[in-house]
Parts: sequence; structure tokens; C-alpha cells
Amino acid sequence: MSATDATSREPASKSSRPGIALRVLARTKLYWGLIVLLAFGALTSPLTSKGNNIFLSIGNLTDVLRQVSVTGIVAVGMTMVIFIAGIDLSVGSLMALGTVICAMLLTQSGWTAASTFAVPATGFVIGFCIFALVLFILKNRARSTTRDKPDTQSKWLAGGIAAAVAGVLMIWLASQIGAKFGVLAVLVAVPCVGAVMGAMNGAIIVYGRLQPFIVTLAMMVGALGLARVIAGQDTAVHPVYTGSNATETFEVLRMLLWGFLPVPGVIFLVVLLIFFMLTRLTTFGSYLLAIGGNEEAARLAGIDVGRIKITTYSIAGALSALAGVLYVAQFRQGKPDAGIGLELDAIAAVVIGGTSLMGGRGAIMGTLVGVLIFGFLSNILQLNNIDSNTQLILKGIIIVAAVLLQEGRFDGTFAWLKYKLSRQ
Amino acid sequence: MERRTFGKTVLAVSLLTSSALTATAAFAEDYVIGFSQVTTVEPWRVQFNKDLRAEAELHENVELLISDANDRTEKQVADVENFIRQEVDAILISPKESAGLTGVVEQATDAGIPVFVLDRNVDTDKFVQWVGGDNSLIGVAAGEYALELLGGKGNAQGNIVEIFGGLGVQATFERSDPFHAAFEGEEGVTFLLDRQSGDWKQDQAYDIMSTALRNYEDIDMVYGHNDPMAYGAYLAAKDAGRADDIIFIGVDGLPDEGVTWVANGELAATFLYPTPGAEGLRQALKHLAGEEVPREVVMGTEAITPENAEDILVRNGLR
Repeated sequence: MSATDATSREPASKSSRPGIALRVLARTKLYWGLIVLLAFGALTSPLTSKGNNIFLSIGNLTDVLRQVSVTGIVAVGMTMVIFIAGIDLSVGSLMALGTVICAMLLTQSGWTAASTFAVPATGFVIGFCIFALVLFILKNRARSTTRDKPDTQSKWLAGGIAAAVAGVLMIWLASQIGAKFGVLAVLVAVPCVGAVMGAMNGAIIVYGRLQPFIVTLAMMVGALGLARVIAGQDTAVHPVYTGSNATETFEVLRMLLWGFLPVPGVIFLVVLLIFFMLTRLTTFGSYLLAIGGNEEAARLAGIDVGRIKITTYSIAGALSALAGVLYVAQFRQGKPDAGIGLELDAIAAVVIGGTSLMGGRGAIMGTLVGVLIFGFLSNILQLNNIDSNTQLILKGIIIVAAVLLQEGRFDGTFAWLKYKLSRQ
Repeated sequence: MERRTFGKTVLAVSLLTSSALTATAAFAEDYVIGFSQVTTVEPWRVQFNKDLRAEAELHENVELLISDANDRTEKQVADVENFIRQEVDAILISPKESAGLTGVVEQATDAGIPVFVLDRNVDTDKFVQWVGGDNSLIGVAAGEYALELLGGKGNAQGNIVEIFGGLGVQATFERSDPFHAAFEGEEGVTFLLDRQSGDWKQDQAYDIMSTALRNYEDIDMVYGHNDPMAYGAYLAAKDAGRADDIIFIGVDGLPDEGVTWVANGELAATFLYPTPGAEGLRQALKHLAGEEVPREVVMGTEAITPENAEDILVRNGLR
């Protein structure tokens, strides 16, 4: 998808020149990069004693899907932030905050630092979402009949419903506090904490008129400290042993469906699909690209830029915290330094996927390819037992190569080659 | 102006109260001891601080100040300079690195404050004493233990996965080289991976191990350079249904990590890397009391196996 966007800007006048095959090739070059990598992996893969290719085995491929799920979910949020020409450096810290809160909710009962923070945050976020949803429905109904703006009465109605739902939800969560949190409660509460932190990012950027880089950098530092404070001075790591100190049902988040499909991977794909549809099929998605392309024009066209920005940053925060839950599920621990360097992995995956750091251009599916290129690369190097330091060098080279393939304009090179050839 | 007078008042009040407190304590001699810790987010460091605080509780005449350098050299230098300004009676320091902290250690010694260096060392002899563990001893002990489990000298059989700590860190190689030396000349033993670093982290070790399990059908032993990595490898093997065929050995032996996992039967053994916290403080107090202390105190290791793991947990109040 992203590859399409990358080339569709080229003037169509030379359409007959490069030939249809070349153009198709150019448009899908990102996928070809992934396919070349896969082919390379299959060719170099060691074999099992029965002669089966290890790299291509279902188990190995789903391993990769599981391994990329945390970075992948974070990268989806990052893609949307980069769509609006922003950047979010705080995702790693928010992910770590998510792991700490998730682990503490699962393993400790009563009003701990984590639950005092998580329960009100959940009530606030869910209440706000319901409020917006009810207003949206009322507005649309009004529009279909009388084309009126929502009046104060409907606002009161929406507020009432939202407060009621949020109240019920908070009572439900508070009822879980006596015991420890279950899976569902964690899945609701932790992303809400992330959403609050993300919304803070967005609000400061919009109302303070500051650069996203500096605001999210501050959040990255601040959230790391917050995660440490919540975790407690004397505990660097909160281990989660399902069945002994946490509920057995938490295992659901790391089991293999039908014996081969890892749940974290499935959640990643579902998140990807939801946000793919959100960005491609809704006006919200078009607004994102419009704001990234030209913020002033978007504002003049009547888009509520501030609101969209805050929403986007809070989605990025919520997805980071959700990734934190999956981290805890996979590695059975929550710790404040879990997400160090994650923001850079996510940004790299987004850029490899063809989304422009300048905003206004890109696609969620490109991010999937970017994340997979990273995941398969690590897997291939690992299978071939390349030592860790060399792995880093190769990764650096591949990142540059992938971005060159994606972003590089080779027209000049082709023209030069043609010129040289014709001279001969 | 106003702010400055306010600061002065606060300072004066706190000085007064502290002198009043020391007066009421009225012991023969009171010591203020500053401890500069490099970071407090690693579990081993957390245990380090716990041990040190517990030891300080035992001495009523000791006031312990702990600073956390957040894993940054420049912050740690500032922390120690702070202790020098406060004219503490002794400084304990667990340095981030030798080069960056040598200067400030010398500065403290020049200011007449005895300095005790814990764990990692510095490049000077201007301090009283170094206290720390010896990773090579751990490598030797782990190697001997592993050799025994795989069949003993001369007829050991098996494939070993070794998960390295940080490749730029000396401790990694001190834990690795003697371990390899133990298997020298053992034809039946193969090391499967080539320097795969899990960077001391459970999650990275999990990924390395899950790939290794795909790659090798026959793995007999995993040696992780610390317990979280050994445990991460165990989790990967458990998820692949192969944990029962593999022996897992870790290093560090923290009560709530390695020891617990050994007691649960998840790791076969772990080797204690003792924290120099308590010993360092005891040595410092000896020195302040006028006793002669040795230049270097090397703390030994201890094999923690299912036989003694329960006792250690009970001793630490975890069971």
C-alpha cells in the first residue's frame, strides 16, 4: 500500500516509458524486499535431522510472529503519530509502565500504587469514550433529520450515560481489587492508563504548541520515573507466576491457538486490521493524512486538528500499554526498564514500511512489512548462529538498504546508466 | 534574595535538628557513611542495597546515606562530590566504570575521607580497600558442577547452550572462560551457540532459546550468565514442551529470583554472586575503629542446589 503511495505522486506523463512490468515492480518493491529476505532465510536455513527446512517450519514462522508482536503493536500506534507529522518517543516508557502496572494488578491485591492509578484512569477514559460515542450517535441522528448541532440537552444526556457506565465499570474494577485482577480487567485497565498518558502528550503538544519531539521526550523520562515509583524502590522486577501468585487464566494471553498460532501474534494482527480499516475507510484516517500533509490547510478546511492530534497520541499510548500486557504474558515479568530502545525499533519499522517521517504519506500495512523484515532478519541471523555483535552491524546495514529501496529515487541512476550505454 | 534567606533558614534548621539528634543519640562515636550506588533498577543492585541497609540497622551508631547514580557516570561523580562536601566519615562506592570514577575517588581520599570500593574496581590505589565477588570463581564452580551433571571428567556427554551476558563486559568472559576450560578435552560435549548475548535480560534469552530449540533437536544443558536469562531459556523450553530434557544453570543466586527458581525445580542450580554491601560496611566500621583492614576482600561463591535452596529462602523470609 505504502509503495503505491510512494510512486503515485510521480507524474503520469512518462507512463509508457518504463513499461508496465517495471512499474508494478517499483510499486511493490517493499514486498519484494521481504520476499527476497524470506527466500534468503529459506536457502540459508539449517535443516532438521529429517531434512526439513527449519526456517520455513510453521513453528518458526509463528515464533517470529510472536517475537514481533510487542514491537508491532507499538509500531501501529507510532505509524499513526507519524502520519500527522508527529513523533512519539515515550512509547517504550509507556510500555514499561504498562508492564509494571499489569504485573502489579495481577500479583497484588488491595489498593496498591498500581490500582490507585489504574482504576480512576480506566473510569476516566472509558467514561470519555462513551461520552464521545453517545454524542456522535446523537449528532448523526440529528443530522439525518434536522441537521442541527447537538444541543446542551443531548450533551447532558451523553454525560449522564457516560458517567453511569464509567461508574459501573469502576465499581466492577474496584470489586476486583479485594482479590487480584483477572485477564479481562487487566486488558481493559492497562491500555486506559496508557491512553491517559498519551492524551497528556497530545494535550501538551496542542495547547502548549510545542514540538512533539520534546514533549514526548519529557514523557519518556517522566513515565520511566513513574514506572519506577509505582514498582517501588526496592523492587526492580515484578515476577508473574501464573497459578501461584497470579490467576491461571492469564495464560490465555500466551497460549498457542490450535497448537501453532500464538495469541500475542493474533492480537497484533487484529490490532493491525482494526487500525488499517480505521485509517483507510474512515474520515478519521483521511484527516490524519491531511493534517500530516498540510496542517494549516487541514485547519482551514474545518478539521478539528487539536482533537485529532490528542486522539492519535492517546491511541499510541494505549497501544503501548497493551503491548506491555503482552510483554508480561510472554516473559512473566513486569519491570520499569522493559521498553528501553523500543521507540527506536518502532520508528525504524515504520520508516522501513514506507511511511514518511515528514507526515502525510504512508500506510499501516507497510508497517507490518517493516516489522516483519526486522523480525525475520533477527530470526535468520539467530538460526545461522551469527554472533550478537555482528548481528548489530548487519541490522544497521539492512535498515539503510531497506529504506534506500523504499525511499531512494533511482530514476537518476537509471537515466545515467541509459546515457552511458547509449554513448557506447 | 528572599529565596536565598529561605534556603539559609532551612539549612540552619536542619543543621540544628541534626546536631540535636546526634546529641541525644549520645553514643561513643557516630558515623555518617555515604554509599554511592550506580543504579537501583537491577535486582542484584536492589539486593545489594537491602543487604547494606540491613547491616546498617545492626549498628546503632551508623547513619547511612545512599545515593543512586541512575546508571550514569557523571551523576555518580556528582554524588560522591556531594558526600565529600558533607564531610561524611567514610564513603562506600560501587562504581559504574573504572575510568570515569577514578578521579573522584582520589579526590575523596585527598580530602581525608576513607573510601571503600565495592564490586567493580577503579584505576588508582588511593582508597582503603576493595571488596567484591570473583566471577572467575563462579565460572570455575559452575563448570565443575556442569561437568559432573553431564557424566564427569573424561566421559561427559551433551550439547550445551550458553547464553552470554553483555559482550562488552568483563564479567561475561570471567563467567564464560573458566566454564569452557572445565570441558577442555571432553570430546562428547559441544557448545551449540556462538556467543549469543541476551544482554542479561529474561526476554532476550527467551527469544534466543526459542530459536535454538527450533535449530537443535538435542539440547542437554543451558548455562545462562545470570538467573533471569537461565529462567527465560527455561520458559522457552517449557513452552516448547522440552524443559524436562534440559538442565538449566544460572548465576547470581538472589533469593527472590534464582534461589526461588531452584527451589521450584525450574533451574538445576545457581551460583551465588554475593553482594559486597554488608561486608563493605563491616570493613569500613573496622577501619573507622582503628583496626587494620586488608587491601582486598574477595568474596567466594556458593552453589545453590535443590538441597539448600529451601533453607536460604527461609532465612530470607520468603518461605
